[in-house]
Amino acid sequence: MKKILLAAGLSTLMMGTTAMAEMQIGVSVARFDDNGLTVMRNGMTAFDDANDDVSLQMEDATDDVAKQLDQINNFIASGVDAIIVNAVDTNATEAMSNAAASAGVPLVYVNRQPINMDTLPDGQAFVASNEIESGTLAAFQMCRQLRAEGKSGGARAYVLVGQLSNQAAVQRTKDFHDVIGMDMCNFITIIDEQTANWSRDEANDLMTNWLSSGDEFDAVFGNNDEMALGAIQAMKAAGISMDDVVVGGVDATSDALLAMSVGDLDVTVFQDLAGQGAGSIQTAMALANGEEVDKTVFIPFKLVTPDNLSDFQ
Amino acid sequence: MSDASEGTGGLTFDKSKRSWPNELNVFGALILIIVAFEILGAIFMQQSLLFDTRDRFDSIFNEARLRIIIIQVAIIGIIAIGVTQVIITAGIDLSSGSVVGATAMIAMSFAQVAMVNGNPNPKAIFGEWALDLPWIIPVFVGLFCGFVAGFINGILVAYARIPPFIATLGMMLFARGVAQWWSLGNPVSFPTESYAAIGAGMMPVWIFLSLAVLFHFIMNFTVYGKHTYAIGSNEQAARMSGINVPRHLVLVYVIAGMLAGLAAVILTSKNLTAQSGMGLTYELEAIAMAVIGGVSLFGGRGSIIGTVIGALIIGVITSGFTFLRLGAFYQEMVLGMIIVGAVALDQWQQQRAAARA
Repeated sequence: MKKILLAAGLSTLMMGTTAMAEMQIGVSVARFDDNGLTVMRNGMTAFDDANDDVSLQMEDATDDVAKQLDQINNFIASGVDAIIVNAVDTNATEAMSNAAASAGVPLVYVNRQPINMDTLPDGQAFVASNEIESGTLAAFQMCRQLRAEGKSGGARAYVLVGQLSNQAAVQRTKDFHDVIGMDMCNFITIIDEQTANWSRDEANDLMTNWLSSGDEFDAVFGNNDEMALGAIQAMKAAGISMDDVVVGGVDATSDALLAMSVGDLDVTVFQDLAGQGAGSIQTAMALANGEEVDKTVFIPFKLVTPDNLSDFQ
Repeated sequence: MSDASEGTGGLTFDKSKRSWPNELNVFGALILIIVAFEILGAIFMQQSLLFDTRDRFDSIFNEARLRIIIIQVAIIGIIAIGVTQVIITAGIDLSSGSVVGATAMIAMSFAQVAMVNGNPNPKAIFGEWALDLPWIIPVFVGLFCGFVAGFINGILVAYARIPPFIATLGMMLFARGVAQWWSLGNPVSFPTESYAAIGAGMMPVWIFLSLAVLFHFIMNFTVYGKHTYAIGSNEQAARMSGINVPRHLVLVYVIAGMLAGLAAVILTSKNLTAQSGMGLTYELEAIAMAVIGGVSLFGGRGSIIGTVIGALIIGVITSGFTFLRLGAFYQEMVLGMIIVGAVALDQWQQQRAAARA
């Protein structure tokens, strides 16, 4: 029964779309040179390649708020069917929403939550993963692992923070604080937390600086995998056995998965960025077809540990 | 007063008018900053910045911290050696950070291994022919990328007469574009072992210091050095005295470009990855090192030794902040004040020296 329903659903979907001309969607991405956003972009391009009924026009906003708004107005002027925005600055989304709404063009925010989430006009939606999940999943798994290693009497941790102006960095650091505030994990104390700007090189140097203080520590949490990898390189250079330290990151990049497979990295979290990219196009197409869409479409995070590593490689 | 005419700066000077060389001032500032951190460390951390207070080493110094102070500035320091020469000709190079980004991506593509953990390299850029190559090939590619960028900069500045600020600003945007376009923003990872050895451990430091010594001699005891200072002091006079100014400027920019290319090779080797955002703001940090080290943006004045000490000052400050566990939010504010303070102090010193004349 389920199969028949699914088949019926699929065929109506296909008929619905094949009947239409190719759908034009304008995409403005905050930065083309960001690793995570590139995975998301690749997810969009893959969806575009696999589907003949949609055509993407991708623009790089080069981290410039004003440029991004110009791009959106250009999309509207050139008559696209829908717009997807990965906002440079989530505080600047009000103007984008207004521009799209007054022109009657559907708008989908992806990956970064717009500030006007509560007042999003009809025909607009937000596709992302629930950011609170990522830091919490990683931190809690680190806490469990430290307990399993018999360190519940007291464990000390360093935290590598991403760019201070970035919402994800602030949130993931807060998640870590929230987790070690829980009764089960309050044996963890933070020795120090400093920014390494999402960068492997800066994290490597920062960790080496920490090591030069000679403080004992049990765990290192990086707001992203790149920083966790930088810290691992620094610790290995200093002759520290990676069995003695629990290292956690976020993103599950291929470099990070390799580090996990050789036992260096203990925890990471997979943000299905490619799924977000594809999901944003599906949502935009649904909106352009006049379908009802939830204001928020969540693509779930997944915890990655050596146990389920093979699912992600 | 006739012997003052061989002045090498915006301000003419001869040795008798200055009580001590400018580098000594910068060195004094370095010592002052270290003392400040030692005092703050003794008060707030009950620890020493540079000395071993925890019996972790056999020596009296905290060797791990001494090493990281210089490791963390070595790669940008290599760029700063080139930037110093450009600034001495009264030019500027804003492109070095982006040249690092572009070179990192391109050079790393020739340094990849074929097999990662028994699987084919998931990040391979080219086909099999570019995998498992000897380390010399990516190093050569990196130097060549730097050469091309520097050569274009030099031609634009010296022959097209485009102001250095604009010419290298154009290269800054162009090279960053190349870095992003090369693999469409994807990182390039998993280098060969021989390539990874180039930037491992203290290697960046040894390369940085060797280059500093080399260029110190070149700047002080060769025709190249003399011409570089002469052009920066007075380009017109340099031309009149028979120096082929355009050709020399191209050479200076080429050297700066190749040093940036080399820095990219070391950076990717150290981090085992190349990413298109690499080298962001390195040009500004390199300029800051030179300026803190007493290199005048008006040209003709400054030295490689000064820049090396400038780099050490930035290294001490970075490590000192982490040592004191100073909140990340305050660090850049303090660093900004120190840079401006260093230049203000230097200006005041110079004016006093000139007034004594």
